[in-house]
Amino acid sequence: MIRPDEVKMSVEETGKWGMTINQDVCTGCQACVAACAMENNISFVGEEDSGYGRSMHWIRIERFWEGEYPDVRMTPQQPMMCQQCGHATCEPVCPAFATVHSQAEQLNLQVYNRCVGTRYCANNCPYQVRAFNWRDYQRPEPLSNQLNPDVTVRRMGVMEKCTFCIQRIHRAQDTAKSEGREVMDGEFTTACAQACPADAIVFGRVDKPETLVAQITNNGRGTKHLAELGTLPHVTYFKEG
Amino acid sequence: MADKKPHDEHSHEEEMRKKHLMLDPLPRGKMNEMVMEAMLEKPTWKFWVVFLVLSFIVAYCLFYKWYVLITKGQGEAGVMRPDYWGIFLVNTVFWIGISHAGTFISAILRVFKAEFRRPFTRIAELMTTFGLVQAGFSVLMHMGRTWLFYWLIPYPNQRMLWPNLHSPLTWDLLAITTYLLSSTMYLFLPLIPDVAMARDRSTGWRKKFYRVLALGFRGTEGEWRHLHNAMNIFAFAIIPVMFSVHTIVSWDFAAATRPGWSSTIYGPYFIVGALHSGMGAAAVVLAVVQGTMKNMKYFVRGEHFDAIGKLMLIISMSWAYFYFNDYIVQWYGGDKWTRIMLHFHEAGPLGWMWFTMLIVNIAIPWAVLWNAKWRSNPWIISVVGIGINVGMWFERYLIVPVSVAINRMPFTWRLYQPGIEVPMGIGTLALFILLYMMASKLIPFIPVWEVQEGQLAHEFKKFGRETVVSVSELE
Amino acid sequence: MTETKQKEVDLLALFSDVAPAADAVEQLRLVGVRDDEINVLSGVPVTGAMLGREPHPTNVPKIAMGGAILGFLTGAFLTFVTPYWYPYPIRVSTQAYVPAPPTVIVLFEITMLGMLLSTFVGVFMDSFFPNYRPMKYVPEISDGKIAVFVECESGDQNKIIDLLKKLGAESVKPAEAQHL
Repeated sequence: MIRPDEVKMSVEETGKWGMTINQDVCTGCQACVAACAMENNISFVGEEDSGYGRSMHWIRIERFWEGEYPDVRMTPQQPMMCQQCGHATCEPVCPAFATVHSQAEQLNLQVYNRCVGTRYCANNCPYQVRAFNWRDYQRPEPLSNQLNPDVTVRRMGVMEKCTFCIQRIHRAQDTAKSEGREVMDGEFTTACAQACPADAIVFGRVDKPETLVAQITNNGRGTKHLAELGTLPHVTYFKEG
Repeated sequence: MADKKPHDEHSHEEEMRKKHLMLDPLPRGKMNEMVMEAMLEKPTWKFWVVFLVLSFIVAYCLFYKWYVLITKGQGEAGVMRPDYWGIFLVNTVFWIGISHAGTFISAILRVFKAEFRRPFTRIAELMTTFGLVQAGFSVLMHMGRTWLFYWLIPYPNQRMLWPNLHSPLTWDLLAITTYLLSSTMYLFLPLIPDVAMARDRSTGWRKKFYRVLALGFRGTEGEWRHLHNAMNIFAFAIIPVMFSVHTIVSWDFAAATRPGWSSTIYGPYFIVGALHSGMGAAAVVLAVVQGTMKNMKYFVRGEHFDAIGKLMLIISMSWAYFYFNDYIVQWYGGDKWTRIMLHFHEAGPLGWMWFTMLIVNIAIPWAVLWNAKWRSNPWIISVVGIGINVGMWFERYLIVPVSVAINRMPFTWRLYQPGIEVPMGIGTLALFILLYMMASKLIPFIPVWEVQEGQLAHEFKKFGRETVVSVSELE
Repeated sequence: MTETKQKEVDLLALFSDVAPAADAVEQLRLVGVRDDEINVLSGVPVTGAMLGREPHPTNVPKIAMGGAILGFLTGAFLTFVTPYWYPYPIRVSTQAYVPAPPTVIVLFEITMLGMLLSTFVGVFMDSFFPNYRPMKYVPEISDGKIAVFVECESGDQNKIIDLLKKLGAESVKPAEAQHL
């Protein structure tokens, strides 16, 4: 477990944008999954491909069972999305620089039009949160009217993943800039956090101690997934507390 | 007293002659004739049937299926989360492995002046070039947007962005390109005197073809000297290139953050694995050449299978050593995910594959190849060679799609079901054989000048009562 | 060189073995034929040492070295220059813009590529390949015969023919350039 208040951290470690997920209040309702798909123009892969492990979601709810039947207990729901690692294993392996680190936003970028589809990044992601466009998926009418104009539509053969709704970040930054102020905490949030009825997901600037997300992150009870790999993830999980 | 000889010298010499090509010289003109005959021999109906079937397989399984794959996307293949890498990369590693034997035989054995290499350096070197073609095809099939493969070539885009040199795939591209180019050049250099020979004794379109290929080679002292120097440089320099190629292929896996893959011994382990499958394939190809082409029984003899068999046995032992080395350290580390993965190998749904791999890669070669008589038999050694290739393909299958089925996110665990990769893989095999068949009709398979050079350098020498063979260097 | 210029002829003597060919080279030298007027063609590598001649000079190793240096410089350009060419250098993970270990790999591969390509080109340059002009040649050479070409003045022709025949040449005749 990383206790962020105990060590002096690099900018890669703290990150700029961060997220906390409270698994104890997560009901597993999948609202975040649906909201993410709507916000980010994610394709519908259909039943067959989805059943074969090709579901294309940038966020997924993982559920596990503990124990043997009939003494079975379900563990807390675990929403899983790109952890926006400070030390991302996906980035260096792309031969085409299609996945790179944004030093301005401390995010993990995916450049769709540079992707040639080697799928090395997805293979090298310990969280397995990258989604590949295995085919050109159909978007039957009138679903095309639902597309978000702020987000690129991806075609066959490219990799994609959670962006922390970077289009919302940029819109908020642009608004704030035109009004001559800083982006305020809670002014905007990601689609998944916005849709969560239980407020299990909190998003914001983790590098500013006064924000809600920073206060939750730094309360010392959270864990980061696979922190032992040194990936420096920027999503903190809370459960059973 | 005279008829009580402890050992009959004459028959001993005869026997050695029969056994060793280098001691059984024929006039150069005769050897030229034999090689030309083997090449010009009118193809039988069997040849045409095989040729047509293979052409059909290549057209349908390789090119038509590839068209389907490109238009419909990687969804046609069995890849998914978490098996983002599937049989296409298994085949890439497999074919690069096959290609290593050619370089091993023609470069390492040349450097160490192993005389048995002489008649089959070209047959082996062709394996390198043809195998690399299949490896290149396989890796292109694997790409989600194949039509943009040239983005990996080191040249800038319109905003002066160059490829990412941090990526093992970029290293791969550089290494495989270097290897493909240099092995093709290394195939061509010793071929020049032989196509010049073919030019001198052919007519019609072949004459024109060989004239162009022979580049005007006449055999002057200067030409030989330049050629000899160049081949020497190639023989030494291509060895580290060959090692680097398969090491970098192994780094595609070893550099990744995956349980079971992050292994520091993957480099040498992959090289030995490559030689293992490559030597097996070389034995098979040699047996086919000996069995099907005219006059080849003179050039390819039991001694050559014997020598390859010894190499196969040594390499099989080294492979077992490296495999065990990799396995025990992974196992001893006790990492939760690695342990699950190792257990998945032997006790998972593909456990039969794991056990078959150990049997055909280790048990059978060790049980058979120790016997000189058995390993000198082309049939036996081909069966062992095919077995090793199946086993090495299984090994790569276990390393790629089976190992990635287990990762640190148990929610995504899933076993891979191959799709369009299977026919396309068969297509690459068919293309490999087809290229060999075409080459057998177009270029002299035996480097006649190298054989003659070797035969000139060997002679019988009396050492006390024993007749031994002295080997001297021609230069 | 006060005499009137005599017509040069090119004689071609075929030997079946290296030893008589080497003797012929020696004897020709004794009767005043210069080394660069003798050319030996063979179907297996026959070195200068076997013929008692200076080995033919070759530039292939030098060209190879030059190619290696060129390759190394290309590799250095790729690794040290290109990452900074983009308007803003790209950060991947926490690796440096020019990471040391991959640099070693790229330098190695491109150096080897440069060296091997230039070795190949070196053979072409030194041997004047490809060359499809008519050349003096007989197909017996690729049958294992050793051909000794002698340039001499037409006055000496008969003398040299006799000499070569005495030394075991199978045939001696004026050589003619032909399309190979």
